[in-house]
Amino acid sequence: MGAIYFDNAATSWPKPPTVSAAMVDCVREAGGNPGRSGHRLSIAAARVVTSAREALAELFNADDPSRIVFAHNATHALNLALHGTLRPGHHVVTTGLEHNSVMRPLRHLETLGVEVTVVPCGPDGMLDMDSARRAFRSNTRLLVATHASNVAGSVLPVSALATIAHEHGALALVDAAQTAGAIPIDVGHAEVDLLAFTGHKSLLGPTGTGGLYVRSGVALTPLIRGGTGSASAHETQPDFLPDAHESGTLNVAGIAGLNAGVRFVRETGLGSIQAHEQALATRFCDGARQIEGVSLYGPSSAADRTGVVSFTIAGTTPSEVGLLLDDSFGIMARTGLHCSPSAHKSIGTFPDGTVRFSFGWFNTAEEIDASLVALREIATWAASNARGTSWTA
Amino acid sequence: MGSVERERDVVDGLISFFASQHAMRAEVVLARGGLRSRLVPGPRELSPNCGVALRFDYAEREKAVALLAARSVRIDGVHFYQPRTDAWRGRS
Repeated sequence: MGAIYFDNAATSWPKPPTVSAAMVDCVREAGGNPGRSGHRLSIAAARVVTSAREALAELFNADDPSRIVFAHNATHALNLALHGTLRPGHHVVTTGLEHNSVMRPLRHLETLGVEVTVVPCGPDGMLDMDSARRAFRSNTRLLVATHASNVAGSVLPVSALATIAHEHGALALVDAAQTAGAIPIDVGHAEVDLLAFTGHKSLLGPTGTGGLYVRSGVALTPLIRGGTGSASAHETQPDFLPDAHESGTLNVAGIAGLNAGVRFVRETGLGSIQAHEQALATRFCDGARQIEGVSLYGPSSAADRTGVVSFTIAGTTPSEVGLLLDDSFGIMARTGLHCSPSAHKSIGTFPDGTVRFSFGWFNTAEEIDASLVALREIATWAASNARGTSWTA
Repeated sequence: MGSVERERDVVDGLISFFASQHAMRAEVVLARGGLRSRLVPGPRELSPNCGVALRFDYAEREKAVALLAARSVRIDGVHFYQPRTDAWRGRS
């Protein structure tokens, strides 16, 4: 067996062949600047962008594609949403599972006078809903919650959280970095006000793509301002979407690839993708539980999780396991804290972290079985070797 | 494994960094200075700061540090490093 890629939560690999083909085609045939000029190449580029916006709106069941704002990635989209809604004196509620893409902007906003409440999560990576309900105050402006943990793989009930937020007059922002393209998201049904997504994970697009869905009626202060190709006579930023938040030339070739990725997801079927990744996670967890020395983290039920699984092996460290998997078994995984110290504190694996396997559409049951053989060998070795390496600082 | 294959040389020194960008830059600087090195996942026991470290010949540490300082590449630490995982090389 060749290389096994189990790092889809960092970025998905491989991509459908249509993704790279669309990017090459875009550079060759649609190389103008979208929305800037009226000539054929500019219009061809604008068609690419419009097509991608429509595909994303349909995927998320957003009725108006202009409410999809393109961004560099989910972090960019989250910063736009957080800085665009929160002001000194506001209160924000978040969870103990958040990635630093949420926690670092929030900790910065805290220094500017925004109050932050972090609702704790259990060692299984699930949120205490009663604590969440009690966290809201009269000045709570925003709830921000990850749809699924990038460490534990646990899926949060974002629809119920959004309902609680609305009951308290707050907006609901969902970080869908780990779920867009992996599990169905219906922004209409879930009553999510803001949804940040990345293009390069389960949507199967290239890096440097992502965006933010903004519900109609939700006003956001722009993160950056500049040329949009629209309202050019004015030196003030346009107030209509998506232009208000899309200053500067877009990553058109990347968006072309994202468009192809989203269309692949829709043609394959989100239900099929979710079922496949859950089946792989279940097969892995069932096998790993039989290996002495392996500890699994996250929810026990397959229904509550994505294709992300964290584990440790007794007698060895995550970084050792990651090195052995790559060097000796050709298995690529991510080890450590996964940019989410808060989540690791919640599941009790801070500061050492875990080994994370994240399965994607292109992974197979045979790859899961090969990884279990590797883990058994590493666990046996770790159990029979005294801890300690010969190094000096 | 094609493009994802990693060089399997074993060397006994390790330079840790504060950011992986620094490690990537250091690899280029050392190569231009005639020193072989290899990017590896950063062992957390030595440096919690960065996911990538650089293995190199520990005997060349003074030259390596001088090369990196001359190019203003920031490093976290220089370590003698012979992890027990090296014993796995070639067995699978």
